[in-house]
Amino acid sequence: MRTLWLLLAGLIAAPLPAAEPDAGQAAYVAGDYVGAIERWQAQVVAEGATAGRLAALGNAEWKLGRKGRAMVCWERALLLDPRNAVATAGIRHAQSAGGVERPALTWAEDYAGFLGANAWLVIATAAFWVALLGLLIPRLRRRAPSEWQEKMVVAAATVFLLSLPGLWGGHLHARRAVIRQTEVSLRLTPTARGEAIVGIAEGDVVRTDRPFNGYVRVTTADGKSGWLQTREIESPWGGGLPANLDTPKAP
Amino acid sequence: MTRCLRLLACFLALTCARAEDYVSWEMTPPVAGPGQPFKLQVRIESDVILGPADRVGRELKPPKGMALRFSGQLFRANTTEATLNFSGVAPEEEGAHVIPSFNIRFPAKLIKVPAMTVNVSAATGFRREGQARAELAMPVRTYYVGERIPGAILLKGSEQEMVNGSFGLECEAEGFTFQQVGARNEELPNGQGIQTGFELTPLRTGTSEVTINGIMLVNTGGLGGFTASGRDRPFTFRRKVTVEHVPETGRPTEWTGAIGRFLAESVSVSNPKPEVGEPIRLRAILAGEGNLDRILPPEIGSSETWDVIPSNDRRFRRAEDQRSFTYTLVPRLPGKQMTPAIRFAVFDPETRTFQRLEFAPQPVTVTGNAPSKVELVSADPGAAAGSPAAKALTGLATPDPRARGLLDPGSQVVAPLAGSRPFWTTNLTLLTLSATLFAAAAGSAYLLAHPEILRRARARREVRAARRAATSAMDDAGFAVACVRGLRAGCAPWIEATPEALTQGDIRRVLPAADAAILDRIFRRADGAKFGAPSDASLQAEKPALLALLAELEARL
Repeated sequence: MRTLWLLLAGLIAAPLPAAEPDAGQAAYVAGDYVGAIERWQAQVVAEGATAGRLAALGNAEWKLGRKGRAMVCWERALLLDPRNAVATAGIRHAQSAGGVERPALTWAEDYAGFLGANAWLVIATAAFWVALLGLLIPRLRRRAPSEWQEKMVVAAATVFLLSLPGLWGGHLHARRAVIRQTEVSLRLTPTARGEAIVGIAEGDVVRTDRPFNGYVRVTTADGKSGWLQTREIESPWGGGLPANLDTPKAP
Repeated sequence: MTRCLRLLACFLALTCARAEDYVSWEMTPPVAGPGQPFKLQVRIESDVILGPADRVGRELKPPKGMALRFSGQLFRANTTEATLNFSGVAPEEEGAHVIPSFNIRFPAKLIKVPAMTVNVSAATGFRREGQARAELAMPVRTYYVGERIPGAILLKGSEQEMVNGSFGLECEAEGFTFQQVGARNEELPNGQGIQTGFELTPLRTGTSEVTINGIMLVNTGGLGGFTASGRDRPFTFRRKVTVEHVPETGRPTEWTGAIGRFLAESVSVSNPKPEVGEPIRLRAILAGEGNLDRILPPEIGSSETWDVIPSNDRRFRRAEDQRSFTYTLVPRLPGKQMTPAIRFAVFDPETRTFQRLEFAPQPVTVTGNAPSKVELVSADPGAAAGSPAAKALTGLATPDPRARGLLDPGSQVVAPLAGSRPFWTTNLTLLTLSATLFAAAAGSAYLLAHPEILRRARARREVRAARRAATSAMDDAGFAVACVRGLRAGCAPWIEATPEALTQGDIRRVLPAADAAILDRIFRRADGAKFGAPSDASLQAEKPALLALLAELEARL
């Protein structure tokens, strides 16, 4: 019996077998960053973009010196998984060593970062329906709500209220964009002759506001506001792989 | 005994040594012009309480041509220090003039003041006559964009007009930045005026006019302070200057904007014995005169031996004319290594040439084993080796493409759920359905609670049908049956009874204004056969009244 327990304990304590590195990881470790990007991009196209793949792509893009693409990948990875360690480390590295500027998170964005925008929406929706049905069903059945139904309604309403800051933070976070082109000038007016206020580097993250005339009003990390051309920035939401700026879009 | 005598001798020697007085003196200005007034201050420190000096100047014998007199003394009760002030006028003859040694009598003791030398030189710029004037000291040459041009306004007085101060210094020049530096009213070396330093920095090329103006405060009463009367006197300087870019010819690739005269003062590493992968800090200090605050840090490239994090140190200490550049180096390989050299180029605007500076490589002994790759950067490069903080990681982490988030199914487009149309459509549909169900349930509950609503509605329908049947009836019997049916159906909800059970008396309870005779006739005509008293009386005359009753009933329902 004792031997059996020891065997069981050994099985539980034994580490899980390490996953074999995929081709992209092998290429990355070997320093073939272009190869790693090609493999991971193929995986994204075939199986979809996940936080892990996007973060890995960000690392490889950064190694090749493509700050804008790397930041887009990392920001997208964080949207899918706000606790992705690779993307978090990459952004921190870009800020400290690469000179990338990123607006400080507001308290609501910090709050939203605990779970992610989609998770907050799912939680809020579920809590809303639970509370609504908890209120409706007793009335449809023409019976007084039981005690557990009342508790459920209160709990769901509490969860719904707690999810509201997360939704607001997710909304604010969604209005960010990454500078994709080098030597971008923040313009005073949304016109071709707009006076340049300050230069912004590739990879910097800005907060976006209303679009107008092919331009978007943005605010930089140090609080300067102005206009950038729409093609100069890329939003983390709404894409899989970073946009290829070398290839013009089909009309 | 011998030892005791020696100790006593040492003690006496020490006591005698302590008893020696210390006398120092200072002359303002240090070098006087011929005939220039000067001040002499003699400071005495003694080991006894001195008290006030007596008959100072009795033994004072100034050299030929020099006037010197005792002007006052400073002393505090119960202190061992004293300060004596003398006023004098320098001789007309240039050279070193010696004031011979003299004694000063204090209540406690007599102190000997050693001989003092007064240097007289015509090069001091001392003027006896003439108005106070302002002079602009600024290099006359071509300036360069980004250069720091030191300048000064010298406000020189004379014996007749002394300059006491200045204010309102400002510069009007397009394409320049202007900044005052140092003390606003710094005394000139000859003591006959003040100066105010400033810095100009050209921002663009071209020829422009620099205008500097201000106001100096002049005392017209001479050096004697009792008769002095002050007044303001403005001054203005205009100078046409040419600004160019630093020439491209001969410009080294490592030139990063430095203009001036600099030297590589020192270079140091934070830890000379790091481990492989452990960041260390390389700090280089540049010193000299020039645009230290505008220099971009020189770049050092990474190599097989070192990973280099770019310098981001912008510290600049104007007071020390120093600028430091700090780089974070991460050793990749173990062994005795040399840090990368920091190469630097400076443009000298005076000679119009470039000079190269180099911060020498520093020896570093790297311990540990060579890893397959090094990607680790410490958050605190200055932390001690081996401490947990030194191992904090902020570099790129090892990618894990299999990692997934909580709601991360892996889609082609990373789109927010909030932007999904099916999500909102489904929710809105369900919400509408719920609202409909709720409304239906609420309506149903209301009707159950108020059954008279349904009864009236049913009665209204029946009265309407009866009125139509009565209107279209071909004979009196049909008319009477339809009328009675309508009257019974219309009155039943009001008295909560079954319509078939109502009589004409019940009808009159609901319709008190109805004619009883007409109601009797119509009921007898409709129901008379049931009770054995059929009536054949014509109802043509009552038709309008009965139809009006039915209409009134329908309206009341």
